Amino acid sequence: MGEKYSDLEKLKNETLNCTMCGFCKNVCPVFLDVGWDTGSPRGRMTMAYGLITGELEPDDDLVNRIFQCTQCRDCWRRCPGKTKCPDVVLAARRELVRRGKTSASQMAVMQNIRNTGNIFADLEVEFPIQEGDAPLFIGCQHLSRTNSTKKNIRLLQSLGVSPRIVREVCCGFPLEVMGFEEEREKQVEKLKEAFPVNDNTILTFCPGCKVHLEKIFGREVRHVLQEINERLAPDKIAKPVNAKITYHDPCDLSRGAKTTKEPREILKKIGCEIIEMKHVKESSRCCGGGGGILTWDAAMSDRLGLARMEEAIATGAEMLVTACPTCEQSLKKAARAAADKSGAKPMPVYHIMDLLFRAVR
Amino acid sequence: MELAEKRAGADSINAIRAIVGDERIRTAKADLYVYGFDAGMHCNIPDAVVRPRTAEEISQILKLANERNFAVVPRGAGTALCGHAIPIAGGVVLDLQGMNRIKEINPGDLLCVAEPGVVCDDLNAALKKYRFFIPGPASSEAATIGGMAATNASGDKALKYGAMRDYVLGMQAVMPTGEIVRFGTRTLKNASGYQMEKLFIGMEGTLGIITEITLKMAPLPEKTAACIAAFKELVEAGQTVSDIIAAPIFPAQLEIMSDICVKAVNKATGLGLPECGGFLLIACDGHPEQVKDEIRKVKEICEKNKAFFLDFTEDPKRIEELWKGRKQMLASLSVLKPEFSTIMLADDMAVPISKVPDAVKGFLEIQDKYDIYIPPYGHAGDGNLHTKVLLDTENPDHWHQAEKAVREIYDLVLRLGGTVTGEHGVAISKAEYFFIERADSIPFMRAIKRALDPNNILNPYKIFDWDKSFLHNLRYPVQLAGKEKAN
Ligand SMILES: Cc1cc2nc3c(=O)[nH]c(=O)nc-3n(C[C@H](O)[C@H](O)[C@H](O)COP(=O)(O)OP(=O)(O)OC[C@H]3O[C@@H](n4cnc5c(N)ncnc54)[C@H](O)[C@@H]3O)c2cc1C
Ligand code: SF4
Ligand code: SF4
Repeated sequence: MGEKYSDLEKLKNETLNCTMCGFCKNVCPVFLDVGWDTGSPRGRMTMAYGLITGELEPDDDLVNRIFQCTQCRDCWRRCPGKTKCPDVVLAARRELVRRGKTSASQMAVMQNIRNTGNIFADLEVEFPIQEGDAPLFIGCQHLSRTNSTKKNIRLLQSLGVSPRIVREVCCGFPLEVMGFEEEREKQVEKLKEAFPVNDNTILTFCPGCKVHLEKIFGREVRHVLQEINERLAPDKIAKPVNAKITYHDPCDLSRGAKTTKEPREILKKIGCEIIEMKHVKESSRCCGGGGGILTWDAAMSDRLGLARMEEAIATGAEMLVTACPTCEQSLKKAARAAADKSGAKPMPVYHIMDLLFRAVR
Repeated sequence: MELAEKRAGADSINAIRAIVGDERIRTAKADLYVYGFDAGMHCNIPDAVVRPRTAEEISQILKLANERNFAVVPRGAGTALCGHAIPIAGGVVLDLQGMNRIKEINPGDLLCVAEPGVVCDDLNAALKKYRFFIPGPASSEAATIGGMAATNASGDKALKYGAMRDYVLGMQAVMPTGEIVRFGTRTLKNASGYQMEKLFIGMEGTLGIITEITLKMAPLPEKTAACIAAFKELVEAGQTVSDIIAAPIFPAQLEIMSDICVKAVNKATGLGLPECGGFLLIACDGHPEQVKDEIRKVKEICEKNKAFFLDFTEDPKRIEELWKGRKQMLASLSVLKPEFSTIMLADDMAVPISKVPDAVKGFLEIQDKYDIYIPPYGHAGDGNLHTKVLLDTENPDHWHQAEKAVREIYDLVLRLGGTVTGEHGVAISKAEYFFIERADSIPFMRAIKRALDPNNILNPYKIFDWDKSFLHNLRYPVQLAGKEKAN
């Protein structure tokens, strides 16, 4: 054994139980992009094993491959032995960060959160503070879009939800995916203080926050779409959207939160015809925005976004709808890139909440 | 054969860099480490990994390898199970996954042409539009057609649809000494001399590098129906298999499971199969009328052999579910012993069809003598049986027990008139037993290798040139006395 990687060691059995079958390779967006086995989930499992046994050093090439993972978790879905490759990657990242192996841009995000409680270090954030029953966690991304967030809250209220909104702080999910474990733990404490919960169902707008908050509170946190779908009766639809759309499942919502049915039911209720992409629901592909890839390797992030956008365009749908602020942003950028490439007009990209707001009275 | 390292030095690596450019060669430690592993149990680190794009580039690299005496190991997806793609003497790994163009699909000539790095399922997705397919191995979602040709891969449809050797009509290949040649034809028949394209089937990357393959295609069946049958005794299931084949009926798939496998599948998948001594999963495909007739006959044969449970379905969803359960056997078995790892040993023996029950019973008796787990299951229809050894990889005693158990298994298989490998090949982990099985033909195989690869640079020290046990160059962190790494 080489240098002690105590965090990674705990997952040594995962690396040993990986049968190296390679079934995870062709679902991994990063492997499909880079082509080298080192960029595949199996490759990452092998490198983690090499770190544990001391046969590999955490040099720049290894560090790069470990951080070039979008945490989309499709490898884990496909793995016949349900080997936890994404968790192994996260453990490796924690070990690497402890050894000072990170990037300036990821450090900057960490510092933003540490210093301001907000991923963008936005001190001007307008919190739509209000009393209510259901603790609603808005999340940094949605907080940065004041207007649409206000509309989203009105929409929830019109469906009978009474959200309680406080001056929240980042849940720490970005710190987890970038491997800043100590900072994450501190952030979680700050969050618990800033965001006290009651016995009512916790709600959130953001798929990533949902997954992370469930870990923190050890109980179900509902994505607003789950709540909305239950409450959205036909008489609530004033202006049906009437469009042929395609829907991009955000990784944290589909594989993470197993919520693939609700957004589709909502889209149908508001008059959308859904034309599905090749990779949907639990087998959805990353938008290029996950797992810290945006700050680690922006060029790769763009390529992954473009690949996903080309799948969307191939459906012939009029627009692409998604349910995650990061996906929305990545895919909007990808739509412009695809348009530059083909000379056609960019495919319109919407957050499902925006369509909902338009449709509901 | 004495294993001499065939490393590529800095000069050689620079010369390769000049051929392929900076972007397609890697010497970073992480890359070398990862390409030192495949899906088998061995590992050894290469000196460089290269992703060539053309036969010409490969030809230049091979000529250089002959001049400078470094090893070259072709590699597809790295899913082979016996150490095939491990650069055991060091040298250069050629990752062919980037050569992945489907060049032609020609239904009128019943053939398609593709580069070796095309993944089997991707090819089949393209062929499906024309209502054709090629039968793939269980690893079809990862394995490349180049790797499949080089290992004569076959899957659970082999009884009716054959193996890779039945589909390769021709190929372009680069010989170990660098010549680019074409073997075979674009015709379904050819009697024009030595069938060199067939010699390349199962050569495990030791005789040449395949750079393009011409494959025959099989028509996609119009309809599939499945029948599941449970028997009190394993022999009854075995007799049913023989009776079905002798009828003669050639089901598309015919799988047998022992009681322990049924339990494992139920536990892992919740499929709710009836607990029994022997279980059969049978699928017939083709024209709807023919399928109906075959399934009726299959049912009669099952009843005659005292099946106590019989179910039949044409529902594609249920059929998919049943096969998924079977396909997940390997993962399911690990549920039985989560603290053990699954090792690719004694993984794919084949015996004459009528000997399947004897083999399965014999394997279970062997398992009882040891602390390790060796649950058998397999494609009864073609006599191909799988077992997986489950053991604690850090326990040297388990490895030594595995060595003994595996020897007993192979002895039994050979006594029953079988082969040590029906699907996966020899490479390193089966070489020891292959020597026993093929004692008389090995000198001739070797003569072919020496004639075509005089400097022994292409995937050296595999098959008949690996004369050690499988306990060398293990990828697991275990210390075995006297079994240190080969180099
Ligand atoms: C879960 C699992 C299930 C499997 N099931 C089956 C099964 O049902 N049936 C079966 O037959 N096998 C099976 N296999 C084994 C394996 O998938 C097959 O042998 C497959 O054909 C290997 O393809 P590959 O692209 O991964 O080749 P690799 O593993 O990369 O290489 C295999 C061998 O072929 C050589 N090679 C690769 N490409 C070329 C080329 N272009 N020219 C010359 N030589 C080349 C390599 O040097 C090596 O010796 C299974 C493996 C796994 C992990
Ligand atoms: S989580 Fe996604 S990006 Fe990361 S290794 Fe798995 S499949 Fe690849
Ligand atoms: S699918 Fe699972 S077992 Fe197979 S190589 Fe990937 S992580 Fe390993």
